Amino acid sequence: MSLLIDMLKPDFLLHHAVWGSVVVGFVCPLVGVYFVLRRLVFWGVALPQVSASGIAFAFMLQGFGLNFMAGGEAQEKHLAILGSVIFTVGTILVLAALERKGEGLSEGRIGALFALAWATSILFVAFNAAGETEMLGLLKGEIVSISESDFHAMLNIFAAIAAAMFLFQREFTLVSYDRDTAVTLGRNVLAWDLLLFLIIGLTISLGVMTVGPLVIFGFLVIPPLAALPWARGMISFSVIASLLGGLSAFAGFYLSYTRDLPLGPVVVCIACAVYALSSLARRLVPKSKSSSFI
Amino acid sequence: MIKFKNASLGYGKAHILSHVDLEIKRGDFWGILGYNGSGKTTILKTMLGLIPCQKGEFTATGSLFGRPRFGYVPQKERLDPLYPLSARDVAAMGTYRKVDLLQRLRGAGHEDVVNRCLADCGATHLAGRRLSDLSGGQKQRVLIARALAAEPEILVLDEPLAGIDITTQLSLLKLLKELKASRALTVLMVSHRVSAERGLFTHIAWVEDGKVTTGPSEKMLASGKLNEVFKTEL
Repeated sequence: MSLLIDMLKPDFLLHHAVWGSVVVGFVCPLVGVYFVLRRLVFWGVALPQVSASGIAFAFMLQGFGLNFMAGGEAQEKHLAILGSVIFTVGTILVLAALERKGEGLSEGRIGALFALAWATSILFVAFNAAGETEMLGLLKGEIVSISESDFHAMLNIFAAIAAAMFLFQREFTLVSYDRDTAVTLGRNVLAWDLLLFLIIGLTISLGVMTVGPLVIFGFLVIPPLAALPWARGMISFSVIASLLGGLSAFAGFYLSYTRDLPLGPVVVCIACAVYALSSLARRLVPKSKSSSFI
Repeated sequence: MIKFKNASLGYGKAHILSHVDLEIKRGDFWGILGYNGSGKTTILKTMLGLIPCQKGEFTATGSLFGRPRFGYVPQKERLDPLYPLSARDVAAMGTYRKVDLLQRLRGAGHEDVVNRCLADCGATHLAGRRLSDLSGGQKQRVLIARALAAEPEILVLDEPLAGIDITTQLSLLKLLKELKASRALTVLMVSHRVSAERGLFTHIAWVEDGKVTTGPSEKMLASGKLNEVFKTEL
């Protein structure tokens, strides 16, 4: 028990790692609920890999001597973040445009994109052998080695993302649920969609830099799936998903630290266990009692 | 309020309807009728601003300035049951015309408006229930309440009676008649059937083969074509 309390204290050796993981665990499900509700779960698989590909691309450019942000390790990370954001947001916008047109097979596109992103991540890394170890570290998430200033910047950005998700929850829900009514009410559906996609892109990019693509996929999709059967409105859906994500991250970190296991897979396994328990409990609780929101 | 003059309507480059002449005045109750796939919803979507008018003239003028305020009741099957929304949540969407950030931060809302609209539609007792758990008729009442919460000048309903038993159809039609009178609404209803609702319409637009024929309901109902349709339905 004392270790659990110690892990939350500022003087804990892996203080950044604990809080970074937990904050990502709290915030990712807030945007992930829209993946689930818009039935875009596979986006949650492909986009973190695209983000990882963006990181690898940024390092490949450095390997070719194209260093736009010359300097130390911090600048390299900033360049990696830039690559990750550009790749992720760019891909989201293209995917969203194709979804709006409604042409072709959506699942097919996402499958091909995932394969491409994975392949290019490996290829881009192969072009910069000198920085391969560092790149692989970043692709897995480099929360342990993040600087104090970057850590606080990340916390501020995730706080802003969480605030935006709650502040604009009505608009995001309306344009996701019933676009025609949103237009009829005079809302600019395209602008709200763009804002939502930009927030999603930023969350995934920073999240991948922090904890890696595997954990981000886990946080984006699994906590919302576990929360959905218990949700009583959009706010409760978001809050339950966020709590499950944050608690899974903390429990995952505790297990990883005490049992000397890799953090990412432990966190994802715990999130999946929570999902399984939630589904089981949903079957045991009579539906008639839970169908009323009163 | 709404005027189409020699208009062509459709999606992208594909023309669905051509030479559309249609004028909707304040207080009218229009039935936009026709077979499935004839282009009824195309007229409705153009009115609502969801798709542009391809050719010709289209104007929509409200009582103050600019476009009229629409209250839209979509086909209930188009709403995804996955969303964990209560009937009250859905009805409240009608008030989402503005961002109202300061009001939102204070925790204030439009609860009185939403409650009144739910009550007017006989849906107060449904407010706390999940929308996806409601019957077709109950969903329609909630969606009409949402449209009313937008404080509309024109109420637009897309196939509101589809998939609903005849008793519920009649009670919904009674509700629409009462709402139209009490709120001085202009109403447009898209339907591929005409038997239950024909008594309400002041005007009818019959959509068939890419053309729209319009007129007062008595005149249209007396025409051979609609008589033929009624016989088929009966």
